[in-house]
Amino acid sequence: MADDTVLIIMTSGPDTPRRCATPFFFASLAAAMEYEVNMFFTIDGTLLLKKGLAETVYPKAGGKPVSAFIQDALDAGVNFMACTASTELHDLAPEDLIEGVKMVGGATMWLLAEDSKTVLTF
Amino acid sequence: MTIVRGCNLPEDLYYLLEKHVWAKPIEGGLIRVGMTSVAGKLAGGKLAAITVKAKSIGKEVAQGKSLATVESSKFVGPVPAPATGVLVRANDKLAANPNLAISDPYGEGWIAEVKPSAWDAEKASLITGAAGVAAYQARLEADGVACG
Repeated sequence: MADDTVLIIMTSGPDTPRRCATPFFFASLAAAMEYEVNMFFTIDGTLLLKKGLAETVYPKAGGKPVSAFIQDALDAGVNFMACTASTELHDLAPEDLIEGVKMVGGATMWLLAEDSKTVLTF
Repeated sequence: MTIVRGCNLPEDLYYLLEKHVWAKPIEGGLIRVGMTSVAGKLAGGKLAAITVKAKSIGKEVAQGKSLATVESSKFVGPVPAPATGVLVRANDKLAANPNLAISDPYGEGWIAEVKPSAWDAEKASLITGAAGVAAYQARLEADGVACG
């Protein structure tokens, strides 16, 4: 177990906009605290990584779109991983996803969880 | 008080230019550390929290690594250490009022005190005095940043 690695599992998607800002905010915060941060996207979370989609999802009316929270997390050095099975669920090809996302199998989630001090699920 | 592009940047502080943090030698061989008025502006002018990890007290933090975190409604990010050293204490007042770091960034709003490990060597990488403030001003102009 690495003392400085944390994992955030993101299952929420565009159907629940209010659940889509905080996970990225927490990820950016953890990176600012010098943690190594992995975000694993599965179920509907993967949809947020579809090119152009997060720009249309607003956690708060008049606020920033989810894409801005995603960009902040990427800029802070958070690693994004998408579950291949969930991309099939949504008929997404790897090239449909934004830059900087690594495609991984479900087993990677277990490996990341085992290596992480803390796991959060949203 | 030296005002540059609306930002108060005292000449007697040492600045880590890219990171908008300052350091000032104080008694006991310590340095006091905080964020500049520019950082406050970039964070949106109103903070929700400044947090120093309790576990970091007594541990060495390298120059440029995170000493604390700043949160506002539009920003979250680190407060990088201007110099390498052991974190001695955090400013307890910020827990109740993080906005002291904006209203009085060089006074009551300091963030942490550090026992520097290599101050004499590292201070050369910081900017200070009239020349330092001029360099900071040039950077603000290049980035199109102003306070107020």
